[in-house]
Amino acid sequence: MEENSSIEMRDAFAEALLELGDKYEKMVFLDADLHTSTKASMFKAKYPERFYQFGIAEQNMFGAAAGLAIEGFIPFPSTFAVFASRRALDQIAISICYANLNVKIPGSYVGVPTSRAGASHNSIEDIAIMRSMPNMKVADPASNNDLKAIMRTAIETAGPVYFRIARYSVREIFPDSHSFSWGMGNILKQGKDVTLFGTGIMTAFCLDASELLEKEGYSAEVIHLGSVKPVDRQMIIKSVSKTGCAVTAENASVIGGFGDSVIEVVTDEYPVYVRKIGVRDRFLESAGMNDLFTQHQMQPDDIVKAAISVIRAKTQ
Amino acid sequence: MELSKTDFKKLEEYAYQIRRLSVEMITYGKWGHIGGSFSMAEIFSVLYFKEMKIFTDDPLNEQRDRFILSKAHGSPALYAALALRGYYDIDNIYNYCEPGGLEGHTHMACAPGIEASGGPLGMGLSVSVGIALGLRRKENFRSRVYCVVGDGESNEGNVWEAAMSASHYNLDNLICIVDYNKAMAKGLIWDLMGLEPFADKWKAFGWNVQEVDGHDINEVYKALYKSRWILANGKPNVVIAHTVKGKGVERAEFNYKWHTHAPDPATADEMLRELSVNYGREPEGYSKLHINDKKDTFYGGE
Repeated sequence: MEENSSIEMRDAFAEALLELGDKYEKMVFLDADLHTSTKASMFKAKYPERFYQFGIAEQNMFGAAAGLAIEGFIPFPSTFAVFASRRALDQIAISICYANLNVKIPGSYVGVPTSRAGASHNSIEDIAIMRSMPNMKVADPASNNDLKAIMRTAIETAGPVYFRIARYSVREIFPDSHSFSWGMGNILKQGKDVTLFGTGIMTAFCLDASELLEKEGYSAEVIHLGSVKPVDRQMIIKSVSKTGCAVTAENASVIGGFGDSVIEVVTDEYPVYVRKIGVRDRFLESAGMNDLFTQHQMQPDDIVKAAISVIRAKTQ
Repeated sequence: MELSKTDFKKLEEYAYQIRRLSVEMITYGKWGHIGGSFSMAEIFSVLYFKEMKIFTDDPLNEQRDRFILSKAHGSPALYAALALRGYYDIDNIYNYCEPGGLEGHTHMACAPGIEASGGPLGMGLSVSVGIALGLRRKENFRSRVYCVVGDGESNEGNVWEAAMSASHYNLDNLICIVDYNKAMAKGLIWDLMGLEPFADKWKAFGWNVQEVDGHDINEVYKALYKSRWILANGKPNVVIAHTVKGKGVERAEFNYKWHTHAPDPATADEMLRELSVNYGREPEGYSKLHINDKKDTFYGGE
């Protein structure tokens, strides 16, 4: 990986919260004793009257978010992604999604970068869980500018939204003017031999992998699908009909998540070989981040190997 | 704050109608919860025909009182109250559990007057806390949030998380009514998971607590009036309404086997005749007794 930006994604989250708080008076923030970790503390400092502390009681916080949305506010109930997706799932499913309420859920500390905290705090199922719920939209930003664009779009989107924030410094791949639309991907690099579909922080890994592939004589197309649900069906079909094979990469479990959302489109419309990169079907153990990326074969080198294997499979 | 005789008679009549329509819709819809609907009949009668400020022609009027049914399986009683109050035609109750009709568990998209979606137990008080906070944000100090919680669902930790936050935020615009009907889905509450000392639990969580006979219209009214106007001391209010599951028809009373159970038309007819006689009326049976509705089989949930 190239040198990362020194600004973590959570700092960009805080900046976007302030920007949106300034623009949208109806925006309120709900916290479950994690505001200094998520950096929502900055919103609290600027808008204390719009910040609700719920203590360590996530089920109640998400239920109350539904109530505030019913009254016309735009609540951001915030906690670590593990607690949103595991602890408060029923409240999110029924009180929020079934009622189709205007609640924006930031899931913090997603996936491998939460490394040393271990399985209880490393969210690997949240994409699969959140995207399976009707009415819910799901986004996983590649960079700070992508996150800010997602948040600007989310607050203008009616209904529930879940978006992911890794505790991670990722290099910027989008300009400040970057915008985000639901169901629209971004072609970051044109190619003809294989498509690398990335979401979240794994998109940068896909870009690195494409450079390594170039050295091996392969031309890889790199597509960022920040909108995990709805996913950009047309872009997926158009790309794989050109390259004939693909690799998906996500900072989450390979089961039921982003990779499967791509595969669902491919098998529906244009069946080709697809291999998934992501956390294998194991709980993440406490370890350094890079060790975990290696352990779960998620490094750019691993993406290269997967890409070459699908290229070979299609030509055999 | 005594109810006039006219008011009392009117509320008693509506409690009867709520029970009657609950049986009609559960029988015709072939699914539903008679026991937990009957136990709330007087509570709904007082709320919808006396206590709550509502605007049937403008159901989302900002000045309205809000109502959340946390025990969302008690939907027939609520749908009946809303129909009787004029939110929609009474005929709509026969679309209960049918596509595009009234949902089995309350859903805010299925009818005017339904403020939230529910079903899984223990969640409604949290939604009510959010609404109460929202009213404060909007500086609406007149409207109240009423939330009916079941006794069985008070086993859920979520209820107590909500109770803790309501007193933390001094939500005296929130009035919780517990339908303490003593029976859960599969047994009596003290056998499955007892709540006592129940009033002490609410007190310990910082609430004003009143206990009433939940089938005594005067008592229910007085407690709600007191919650709204007299006890405004910065604390949320709970009225523990001691009720009888299935109150009104002997076979269902205090009988958890009527928790989820749709009667067949002949049984419904018997039940409704008994109910009307108990109210000192001419016998009035099931209105769809002779209608062959060609629907699928009954769901007897025992």
